[in-house]
Amino acid sequence: MTCARVRRRLSEWLDAELEPSVAHAVSSHLSECADCARRAEELRAVSGLLAGLPRLAAAEPVAPGVLERLEIEAEERRPALAVLFRGFAAARPFMLPSLAPAALVLVGVLAGVLALDPGPLPEVHLAPGAWSAVPASGTEGNPLFPSDGIDLPREMAALDLSPEVLAGQGEGSVFVETVVARDGSVAGVTVLQGDADGEAPLLEALRQQRYTPVRYRGRPVAVSVYRLISRMEVRSPRI
Amino acid sequence: MGVGEMPLEAQAFPGASQDRELVASCRTGDPGAFARLVRLHEGMVFNLAARLLGDPEEARDVAQEVFLQVYRMLGRFEARSTLKTWIYRIAVNQCHNRRRFWHRRGRDRQEALDEGVAGRARGAAEGAGSSPFEEVRRRERARCVQAALLELSFEHRSVLVLREVEGLTCGEVARALGVPEGTVKSRLSRAREAMRLRLLGRVEEGQTS
Repeated sequence: MTCARVRRRLSEWLDAELEPSVAHAVSSHLSECADCARRAEELRAVSGLLAGLPRLAAAEPVAPGVLERLEIEAEERRPALAVLFRGFAAARPFMLPSLAPAALVLVGVLAGVLALDPGPLPEVHLAPGAWSAVPASGTEGNPLFPSDGIDLPREMAALDLSPEVLAGQGEGSVFVETVVARDGSVAGVTVLQGDADGEAPLLEALRQQRYTPVRYRGRPVAVSVYRLISRMEVRSPRI
Repeated sequence: MGVGEMPLEAQAFPGASQDRELVASCRTGDPGAFARLVRLHEGMVFNLAARLLGDPEEARDVAQEVFLQVYRMLGRFEARSTLKTWIYRIAVNQCHNRRRFWHRRGRDRQEALDEGVAGRARGAAEGAGSSPFEEVRRRERARCVQAALLELSFEHRSVLVLREVEGLTCGEVARALGVPEGTVKSRLSRAREAMRLRLLGRVEEGQTS
């Protein structure tokens, strides 16, 4: 065996992954060739150095943070996602197959109304987690649906979801609340769930949105719009 | 691998039947089961992420993301590999995504890892008589090795960390990376050679200074 061929096999030789006859040929060469023997020793030392690296431990355990986030997700997703996915699939039955396979962007609007104007109007804040606590649509306790004289705000232009805007998102989701002022401008955007870091372009795009002003019983009101923006990797790490 | 770590290793990587039981408990919604799963594997996930990313804060963040993804995908775990290998695969993918995210941002953040964290435990296991000089030398050596690791491509670094640091077999590395075993062997050969060239000078300096 030549030096070059032996050197190509050294890594497998060290792992004892070679056929016995090849392993024997490499061993014989090493016993005669000082240069290749030194190379083998150096590679063995490299493995030793890597194996000798201390095991690193997080300053604080990871488990509590994970469980807390799962709890928050379960609490917020239960009502929100059920409504959101039903609406999405029903409204766009032919859209799903046409989505790009690499990324799927789901945008849903879950509307509630935040009546900021005190006085005779009922003050109701429909939080995502409070969905199940809200009385049935159209009742006195929940006069916030289109059937009761209020229109959901409409976007004047679709939200910019170009790759640049979504660049900050990994595979995670972000759940945001947009407060639409009485004149239809955006008064504020709050990340309710998800990582706000790196989402600056998306949040800025949300702030630039304009909506049709919403009126309730003839009076302009501010409303909150909830959105879940998800980007899902379709690739599965199934083994 | 230090002798003192053996029981921990054995406890952290239960057998296939234990994997299946644990996953089945998680699927039935047992809240304690998933907490147990995270506690069993969080050490290995953090160590892997810290070695691949070279940044302890990012590693902790990625470790959280890994377990959130594990939770969401538990329904797809088919026990064709061990739970450990399956989690490794998710962890490597998450680290890779994080690196690409940094790359797009033109950022390559790395903060020094505290090589002393487990180094102290190792010192204790190897003998209480290790001197401060030994401790410093050990840390310096670990720092050099980590620095050299971070100079490699992600492909080479991940194969080296899984094989040499985490101690997986070539077959396990192949399953964790989703590539054929032959590819693992050839990557391993090139990665070891790249590491050899980078470490030759550095570790000698570290040891003689």
